Amino acid sequence: MTKRWSRPALLGIAAVLSMAGLSAAPSYAAGDAEVYVVQGLPGRTVDVAVDGHTVAKGIKTAAVVGPFDISSGKRTVTFSDDGKVLLRSSFSVKPKSSWDVVVHLPAETKTKPAVTVFRNDLSDVPRGKASLTVAHTAQVPAADIRVDDKVLFADVANGQSLNLVVPVRTYKVAIVPTGKAAPVLLGPVDLTVTGGALNRVYAIGDPEEKTMNVALHVIRTGSSGSDQPDRVDTGTGGQAAGLRQLGSALWR
Amino acid sequence: MLLTRRRALVAAIGVGALGLVGCGQPSPGPGAAPSAGGARAASASPSPDPVEDARVGAPAPSTRVRFVPTSVTLPGGASAPVRPARTVDGELVVPEEVAHVGWWDGSAEAGDPFGSTVIAGHVDSASEGLGFFAHLRTIARGDVVTVRAGRHSARYRVHAVRTVAKQALATSGSALQQDGDHQLVLITCGGGYRADRGGYDSNVVVTARPLGPAR
Repeated sequence: MTKRWSRPALLGIAAVLSMAGLSAAPSYAAGDAEVYVVQGLPGRTVDVAVDGHTVAKGIKTAAVVGPFDISSGKRTVTFSDDGKVLLRSSFSVKPKSSWDVVVHLPAETKTKPAVTVFRNDLSDVPRGKASLTVAHTAQVPAADIRVDDKVLFADVANGQSLNLVVPVRTYKVAIVPTGKAAPVLLGPVDLTVTGGALNRVYAIGDPEEKTMNVALHVIRTGSSGSDQPDRVDTGTGGQAAGLRQLGSALWR
Repeated sequence: MLLTRRRALVAAIGVGALGLVGCGQPSPGPGAAPSAGGARAASASPSPDPVEDARVGAPAPSTRVRFVPTSVTLPGGASAPVRPARTVDGELVVPEEVAHVGWWDGSAEAGDPFGSTVIAGHVDSASEGLGFFAHLRTIARGDVVTVRAGRHSARYRVHAVRTVAKQALATSGSALQQDGDHQLVLITCGGGYRADRGGYDSNVVVTARPLGPAR
């Protein structure tokens, strides 16, 4: 099942962004926690088992699958390709938690995949805004993520992420080495964020192999905050009017 | 850390006792770090493949500080508590206590990359006299305003002080915008005072730009 995946990165990204999965807010129905799997290995299709039970097969590069209900405690996730185990990883799961388990290339070695787990913060997001987390899971050194030509996520190393709350719109996103404008390792790509949701963006792949790509995972959250006011009424006494001062901004 | 802070905010909103006062019309008012931990794997079943601890994704050190202000300090050192304030029937309901001011709970937090952080407060009230934001009558371009919450702080330099007709506050200018560059906006009442028309006819809008990142 192993095949090289070497389409030009930009084409791949466009496809990924248009078929990005949108997950509902968790119910924690069967288990008391949930896990999603993010497939960040270029050129592979991957099967996934949790504690020895297969939960998904044939996951393509940049795809996100889940949620899978799991129980809290120590869970072991096994990734395999065509029957051959790539690696087994375990991590501690707290009750009522949501996780992205990402299998990806590490920063250094070309041969051995790595697994990084990210806890999903599903706190309410302000009305009309999106919670945006960018994670570095690609085979590149620490990088800056430029958004609309400004560095909004600075010096992110493999296995790290940064979160911002941003207005809902489309952003131009590019990844460059920390502190530099070039070479552009990924993008710029158009990223349209979803409001009232956690938007997780994973940079994956290897620029030397031209397999840089993006996996996008959107999970609905609740909303916080009230609507924009039409009126702000903040004076009922008139005493301040009695303090009228020449040149004062209030009564100019 | 982020999660903890957000929970604290929810709690603060929950217990915030907000009165409602308008320029004239009183109305009713509302009121862990990711569990880390690579566990050590104890694979009981005979398996040729070792079980490794998954790495737990961490925030990059450049994570921005962002916070809901709980106090504001004006030039000269005068300071006031900031309480969350909601919009009810189109009106931003600021604390009735005139020594307090209100942060619109739909606006940006201090330290956010986009949007106005909106803080509004009384210039005066019929029952309590002068309000904290009567201090704004002497604020000027270039002055520095600081907002704080716990050990966090953010400083802003005043960029403009404008008087805007009340009905134009939401429609003209960028005072309430949430999708442009980040700024701090302080709002109170001003302009002409006409008791028979419900109070002041204008809002005073102070806009200030961040002086470096929030800490």
